[in-house]
Amino acid sequence: MLDPYELTVHTLTLRQLGSAEQLAEINALPIGDVEDALEKAVADGAVMAARGNYMITPAGRAVLDGVYPRAFADLRSDPAITEAMDSFETGVNKQVLALTTDWQTVEVDGTRVSNDHADADYDNKIIAKLGRVHEKTQKVLRPLAHRDPLVDRFLDRIGAALIRAEGGESDYVSGVRVDSVHTVWFQMHEHILRLTGRERPE
Amino acid sequence: MSTVTSFRWLVIPDETATEPSRDLVGGKAWSLWRMRSLGLRVPPAFVVTTEACAAYFAEGGLPDGLADELVSGIRMLEKQLGRTFGGTERPLLVSVRSGAAISMPGMMDTILDLGCNDAVEAALAAESGDPDFAAEVHRRFTGFYGRLVLGCTDDLEDLPDTASVRAAIAGDVDEMVPADPWEQLRAAVAAVFQSSRSRRAVAYRKHYGIPDDLGTAVTVQAMVFGNLDDDSGTGVLFTRNPVDGTREPYGEYLQRGQGEDVVSGRVTPKPLTDLHERWPTVHTELLEAADRLDREGKDAQDIEFTVQSGELFLLQSRPAKRTARAAVRIAVELVDEGVIEPAEALSRVTADQIRTLLRPEIAAGAADSAEVLVSGVAASPGVATGVVVDTPEAAQANPGCILVRKSTSPDDVHGMIAAAAVVTEQGGATSHAAVVSRALDTPCVVGCGTGTVESLVGRIVTVDATTGRVYAGELPTSAVDESRDEDLRRLTEWAEGATPLQVGTDVAVEPVFDADTLPAEELGEQLPDIPSGTKTVRGAIFCAPDGVRAALDSGVDAIVTAHRLPVLLAAIAHHRRTS
Repeated sequence: MLDPYELTVHTLTLRQLGSAEQLAEINALPIGDVEDALEKAVADGAVMAARGNYMITPAGRAVLDGVYPRAFADLRSDPAITEAMDSFETGVNKQVLALTTDWQTVEVDGTRVSNDHADADYDNKIIAKLGRVHEKTQKVLRPLAHRDPLVDRFLDRIGAALIRAEGGESDYVSGVRVDSVHTVWFQMHEHILRLTGRERPE
Repeated sequence: MSTVTSFRWLVIPDETATEPSRDLVGGKAWSLWRMRSLGLRVPPAFVVTTEACAAYFAEGGLPDGLADELVSGIRMLEKQLGRTFGGTERPLLVSVRSGAAISMPGMMDTILDLGCNDAVEAALAAESGDPDFAAEVHRRFTGFYGRLVLGCTDDLEDLPDTASVRAAIAGDVDEMVPADPWEQLRAAVAAVFQSSRSRRAVAYRKHYGIPDDLGTAVTVQAMVFGNLDDDSGTGVLFTRNPVDGTREPYGEYLQRGQGEDVVSGRVTPKPLTDLHERWPTVHTELLEAADRLDREGKDAQDIEFTVQSGELFLLQSRPAKRTARAAVRIAVELVDEGVIEPAEALSRVTADQIRTLLRPEIAAGAADSAEVLVSGVAASPGVATGVVVDTPEAAQANPGCILVRKSTSPDDVHGMIAAAAVVTEQGGATSHAAVVSRALDTPCVVGCGTGTVESLVGRIVTVDATTGRVYAGELPTSAVDESRDEDLRRLTEWAEGATPLQVGTDVAVEPVFDADTLPAEELGEQLPDIPSGTKTVRGAIFCAPDGVRAALDSGVDAIVTAHRLPVLLAAIAHHRRTS
């Protein structure tokens, strides 16, 4: 497991340029702990501060590279985790990416063009499918969630984005500037890749 | 003989019936009635009402008498089509779909081909002379039922046959697909009711303040088969060309085909002229119906139809998908036809569509002699020229540069926001780089191959993300001018009359806030804070819809930009949502 200092630096690999509040929203630490960790990390040169936002430095990445193998040794040797990750990569992850593409583009007469979101049925079907994949992901990632509470938190945040998307806030499917399904999904993916020491498959 | 009034839980969308209440029968059944009342032929159907849904929840099960009425409803469909539900000769299959007065996500998808079992499959095979078709119908139904009624979450669509679908369902849930068609029907109706209380439907209603007891109706409609004989077929028809918006019917027809055949791409359909040659009367009837639906729907329609033994059935008519160019043409044309008002036309075209049309392109001929450095998959269209950098930090320090990476991850997003285009070595149309670039409307080419970063970094390149090529040097581009295109010019004129926001290159009222002058570290994943009291904003971020919304919410009077229409449309859409 990561201590609050390590976890805070790690969170900056999931979201670049975050404020202490935004990092705490991701890693669930008390805001005071995140602030303390950031202060120390800046002093260590692991993190840079810029007007209330923080960014990891190459030195910070080097620290994490040293930390992960120790912190996650048990988890990395667990075959159930390996199996869950394989299933995640080949199954639900591909489905979410394909659905996000279907959300952003539609086929008109054989050509893919931007989805102008004029067809509510089309959009609702994609959101409904994302909902089913989300439910399935909870099953697939159960072995990881048992070992790491943040995995559940990511799934909850994806669920929250889905509810907003279902409520008509379409930015919450793939918007970059909000905690959309895609944004949080990618944070979660990056998180579990780092946990398990895997490379992004593409 | 009319038994319509004797039903307690059912409504028949008959052309002679008076307009049914949408609250009672739901939007989909209402539109079926609408097509019938226009004299168009749709496969016969009946509706289990929202009152039955309320009773289902009050009684904790299908209300008294509903099961009997379902039998009567099916008998009526059987009679009209000369088929038998669960029969071993000329079997009747039905679709079962949800339909609330207000459409909402989380409700159950349509179950097709309900009423199938082993014996019915054999009967269908004998009737159609096509055992593969019958097997496919059975496999598909089993998948629909497994997923929608039994709640199986496995992917069932890609499995090859009914047996493997059954096995997958058995591996995931404790129940099996019943062989008895009546049991299938009752369970499907109950599952539709149940879906109105799904987590997603409940969340949606809560968000929109829709009463939570608003249930759903269930439409049960006979399936028709386009693959029955040589006088049968299926097709789709657009009432207007979906690519350029021209007012001309446009479509495809597949003799001896079933609806899914056209969509699946397994077979190549023929143009509609094929139907004209085989069945001129059916073709004429179809075009007349299409014209009617276009006029009544006040919009371009995408119509699905099936011909069964020479008889035309309309299955669905809904607003057609269209390209940005077609959306503009259709909206303006509908105003000229006197069908809609200019204000309505403005709501038919989105800011994103106009941005698409105004994207610069490489000037004609300019690419012919240019050197192609790398090429890949065009993931987010557009053209951009700039110096190539290979880290997000460098991209932030040089806004407007080209960011080239092996692949991108959340780590790179701030750099992608600052870059004018994104190029990657790895990945396809669903990669992180592709998805994020599309969300940002940044040109993006992915999958250019190993060594791309090394070969491009430090060079000036032109990325043509519409063709997926990266050229050496700066190529001339040609930008569309919104005042030179007649349709865009008229939309702009209407849009200026519809919002008090001033938009243009010479509208600045002090104080002005310019987001493009912000230091690099403030260019990030969030919108910049607009200082209070700001009257005018400028900068690339305020040309995108989320920037426009932020500017309006902070009370600005003017936005400085060269392209007025997308900003005006975003502003109008924002007024519409918030007023």
